[in-house]
Amino acid sequence: MLNIHEQESKYAESARKFRKNVDRDLANQELRSNFRGAMDYLMDKRKTAFPEQDELETLRRQAQLIKQRCLLKLPHLLEELEQNLTKNGIHVHWAETPAQANEMIAQLIASKKGKTVVKGKSMVSEETALNDYLEQRDIECLESDMGEFIVQLAKEHPSHIIMPAIHQNKKQVADLFSGNINDFEHTTDVDALIQQGRKTLREKFCNADVGISGVNFAVAETGTLCLVENEGNGRMCTTVPDLHIAITGIEKVVEHMADIPPLLSLLTRSATGQIISTYFNMISSPRKKGEKDGPEEVHLVLLDNGRSQAFADDELRQTLQCIRCGTCMNHCPVYTRIGGHAYGTVYPGPIGKIVSPHMLGLEATSNLPTASSLCGACGEVCPVKIPIPKLLLRLRKESVKPESQQPVIMKGQGSGRTTLEASIWKAWSLVHKVPALYRLSMFMVTRFRFLIPNKLGGWTSVRTAPKPAARTLHERLRERK
Amino acid sequence: MSQLNSQHLRNYPQKPKQVYLYGTCLVDTLFPDTGMDAIEFLEHQGIEVIFPQGQTCCGQPAYNSGYQDEAKAVALQQIKQFPLDIPIVVISGSCGGMMRHHYLELLGDEPEIKSFCDRIFEFTEFLVHSLHIKLEDKGSPERVALHTSCAARREMGVHITGNQLLDQLDNVEVIKHDYESECCGFGGTFAVKHADISAAMVGDKTKNLLNADVVRYVSADHGCMMNINGSLEYQKQSLRGEHIASYLLSRTKEQGGSKC
Amino acid sequence: MSTKTELQQLSSKSKSSILAKLKAQVSGADYSKLPVEMAYEYPELSHQQQLELFTNNLTANHAQVINTSKESIERIVAEELSKRNLNKILIGTNSEYKDGLSAQLEVQEYDFDLQQNKPYLFNEVAASLSTSLCSIAQTGTIVLWPDENEPRTLSLVPPVHFVIVDAQKLYPSFSDVLVKQKWQQNMPTNIVFISGPSKTADIQQTLAYGAHGPKELVVLLINV
Repeated sequence: MLNIHEQESKYAESARKFRKNVDRDLANQELRSNFRGAMDYLMDKRKTAFPEQDELETLRRQAQLIKQRCLLKLPHLLEELEQNLTKNGIHVHWAETPAQANEMIAQLIASKKGKTVVKGKSMVSEETALNDYLEQRDIECLESDMGEFIVQLAKEHPSHIIMPAIHQNKKQVADLFSGNINDFEHTTDVDALIQQGRKTLREKFCNADVGISGVNFAVAETGTLCLVENEGNGRMCTTVPDLHIAITGIEKVVEHMADIPPLLSLLTRSATGQIISTYFNMISSPRKKGEKDGPEEVHLVLLDNGRSQAFADDELRQTLQCIRCGTCMNHCPVYTRIGGHAYGTVYPGPIGKIVSPHMLGLEATSNLPTASSLCGACGEVCPVKIPIPKLLLRLRKESVKPESQQPVIMKGQGSGRTTLEASIWKAWSLVHKVPALYRLSMFMVTRFRFLIPNKLGGWTSVRTAPKPAARTLHERLRERK
Repeated sequence: MSQLNSQHLRNYPQKPKQVYLYGTCLVDTLFPDTGMDAIEFLEHQGIEVIFPQGQTCCGQPAYNSGYQDEAKAVALQQIKQFPLDIPIVVISGSCGGMMRHHYLELLGDEPEIKSFCDRIFEFTEFLVHSLHIKLEDKGSPERVALHTSCAARREMGVHITGNQLLDQLDNVEVIKHDYESECCGFGGTFAVKHADISAAMVGDKTKNLLNADVVRYVSADHGCMMNINGSLEYQKQSLRGEHIASYLLSRTKEQGGSKC
Repeated sequence: MSTKTELQQLSSKSKSSILAKLKAQVSGADYSKLPVEMAYEYPELSHQQQLELFTNNLTANHAQVINTSKESIERIVAEELSKRNLNKILIGTNSEYKDGLSAQLEVQEYDFDLQQNKPYLFNEVAASLSTSLCSIAQTGTIVLWPDENEPRTLSLVPPVHFVIVDAQKLYPSFSDVLVKQKWQQNMPTNIVFISGPSKTADIQQTLAYGAHGPKELVVLLINV
């Protein structure tokens, strides 16, 4: 049997460096200002796109129920999807791990003797680090979404799932182009920069052997792959090369075509405040006889990568309702401050905090669920009503649950548990569940308040330390009677 | 009002004769004056306030840290302290949210838990919706800002009632500050575990409050205020926050002015 | 590199494993107890209001909308091209506009296979003309069903795309289209919704048009 080399995701390593990354990026004022500007813009756009609260709430509820229904039927919908895609002439491949998906894609490319690949935006291919994998096999793999193109030139990862290069400003992009594109005439004019990108990439579309794309929705009843985009690069990748390989997560399947309109409307309006994207592309088969363009072969790779783990718990399953609009990050005060790279994961921001632990395990991601003030802004705007704060709490619970405690829900259970913290909470609980003990402790705290240090770790790096009152409210009210 | 979600719509009791006060652990040890002020204010309205001495903490710190068993033991203890079927007024939106919403999750198996949660009212919502309070402002003219904690805003709708109360004060001009709905960075143990991120957030929050050019800001949560005031004091700024219970009391008392 | 058979085996093993895990969770689910999914009821619009909405949305998205009659299509295309200093156009095969256009312009039909003609299409064609299936008012969307006469790249690669839209085939919303046209029953190779020229805001949230697809979308709305 085939031996695929399973190795730990590079994102596990970078996620472990969360604190270091945060220190680095918080100190970068240009980055902070790029993110603040971008988030303000996106929040404002979204607000304008939903003028009627009533419509928004009806749509959100409808979308939530659609996604929950589709998840409840997920295994059957996946089978139906495969049947219909196959009937339409699209080949379906199933991968449990990123390594399997990469190997399948590499094999498909090799079967066509492909040497150059153009890619449309696909966050799932970021999960598998597909570009690295193909490059190691001497296959040129070029990102064609403008943001992804910039990020690839800069040898970085997307810092946002919708706007990958949001961490860069136009001056930075201009400098990047100067160093990487031949005959680039230096300019910070955005139109000129985009035209430069267009010129470079059109050559590539023209010559590429293979197009790789993601999928926004896969429709089970018809066997249709739907792609949402503004630039047209997605259409290029899925139309011009002879081979089109799409890759997506197993949760992207919907039951009916009629499920699409509300989801699409919420997706584009939540993401960028557009009533619809420039293009909505529905692909149901490879080129048919007599047709003059379109790929000869179309393949879909369905990836699990931890999704079935989230699926196995009723509460955590809601994570899979996500339609990847990114509005949770746009509204997140933590994301706005630290930016997308600090997380070290493919998916940053609130959705990243709840989905990455399933992909990378709780051990590598133990800092993510705690890095939230639980302000609730994400849950308030989520178009499919994922209770993100509640899921963060749940992940915190799984993270500090004793390693051996059954049932084990998640890989890496208990990895956030320290003996010290566990005993502090035990003691805390004891004090607070026995009123007399609580009153005694508070009595002691107030009487010995001069002993409370003026330095309380990180708290006092930017704040003064709180001082206990001379007498507690309990005491004062006892005396009052 | 666009933030008002259906979860905020609830039945409010008509003005009761008696209420319980839930003081919260933070007020108990750090800001007992606020508790005293809230009681005095409610008593002025002709309501008897009962403060059960057995109350300790709502359990939120442990709950938010993932230590649910520990939180549960403490939460169970709180429920026992409030046997009478009268409203429980909580002087913190965040603790109120914990007891009104999260207790249902945490203690879902307990009998009568629903009716306990239904008796939880945040201080300002109680004033507006149960007492239908009419405030007479006796203070001198001033500009203030309102900061509402995120839990208060999103779980309890307190930004609405807070504003409604301040709007009743004739001499008080409520100034909106930039990013008003954005979190101050407190988040309980978050401020300790991720102190750097929290510091960046409170840095921005204080900047926005200072830019509003107000004499004070008012809030219904001491958690946020401990964070924001601590940062302001560290920056040697004179601006401070005041709990809305104390503020309303001082504005409506004969002497006038605020004692902050 | 693994062989094809080995990968097929791997795929089917992964499939069984994934499906088994999923089925273990939801095998007994009772679909009859699913909550009712309520759609939002949008206010009904008259045809005229829909036309206005359609036009406004497209214009807001940087498309040019020209109201015209069927008879004037060829003349307007020629005029618009001449404004751009162009005199050639790529059209679909079996087009009813071929003769009219040929009288004024150099017309090329898409009668070739893309595979051997990529450099031509990418580098030499400046403008194209296509028809459309229907359109959607709520989002200012034009629906294209590319086919052997009008291939997918006809509306994608040339920098200026003229598209003919029949005002009588305007629907209020995407949902309405699905209800009336029942696409579910027979999907073509490709359906594409176009709601403006190609664009991007990937550099510092600044909108720029002509990212990869057409820089200009000229909508010829047959409305008389």
